[in-house]
Amino acid sequence: MPSSSNMSTEPQPALARPSLAALQSQMRWLTLLMLAIGLHVFEAALPSLGPWFKPGLANLVTLLALAMLGPRAALSLAIGRVLVGSFLIGTLLTPTFVISLSAGLASALVMIAAWRFLPGISLIGVSLIGALMHMLAQFWVVETLFIHQAAIYYILPPLLLLSVVTGWINGALARYIVARLNHG
Amino acid sequence: MFAGTRTDYLILLLALAGIAGSWFIVRAGLGNGAPTAYIYRDKVLLATYPLPDDDRVIHFDADGKLGVSEISIDHHGVRITSSPCTTQRCVLSGVHKHIGDMVACVPNHILVSIRGSGSADGSLDAVVE
Repeated sequence: MPSSSNMSTEPQPALARPSLAALQSQMRWLTLLMLAIGLHVFEAALPSLGPWFKPGLANLVTLLALAMLGPRAALSLAIGRVLVGSFLIGTLLTPTFVISLSAGLASALVMIAAWRFLPGISLIGVSLIGALMHMLAQFWVVETLFIHQAAIYYILPPLLLLSVVTGWINGALARYIVARLNHG
Repeated sequence: MFAGTRTDYLILLLALAGIAGSWFIVRAGLGNGAPTAYIYRDKVLLATYPLPDDDRVIHFDADGKLGVSEISIDHHGVRITSSPCTTQRCVLSGVHKHIGDMVACVPNHILVSIRGSGSADGSLDAVVE
């Protein structure tokens, strides 16, 4: 008779389960991702203050991920929110998507570098650098890949000034939220 | 809540200095004189039109990468009235009339920059078609 080894009632080794801390970290990341996607869609619906200018609310969530979960989580969140957000608003793989992804990535990388290597910097400074890099990267991508015309840079200085303002405010908000979450 | 660290303020100072410097350079390039619309497809300067101060309406069809972007110029300013792009952001951006403004259809590679009639266009690698 064939053996019934596959019907064995011997206890199987238990599957390795992630730790509670790892699950909580993943849950926090997913929560932040959902928030970032929601803000990405919300910002797309806002009236434009200027070409390629947004208040950077979705970037605020990248800052929260950086402060609470670390650089890898912040980078993956920046990519994830552009991918899913662009899919939801119907701009996936369009020039808007390319501009948004490039600027989001550049901004996240610079914020991570500033957070790790600049002594004495707070989330306000990190946010300020991120906002400026986001704007510069957008213009560079538009000029290099699409418009091929340096005349677009004529409008850059006032938009950079707006980025300074929004970057500072977003950084202050991020610092306030992180402090409340850590002590609440 | 909005107070930063010393490093934050140093970054702010550097950023503001950089913006002020670039603004100074840009203002010099924008030129003085009557506001004029410079219409480009990529590096090619397709046309220039001074913004009319009477009731004339100028229509220009800019042949871009995806098709024709229709541009209207009158005493209110410049606007793209029709474009083959999917997002229609250029159309929705409305009228632009001040020196330094611009309207662009990125997917169609069309740019309209408003500058002074005496702006140094050659410095921007433009080629008149």
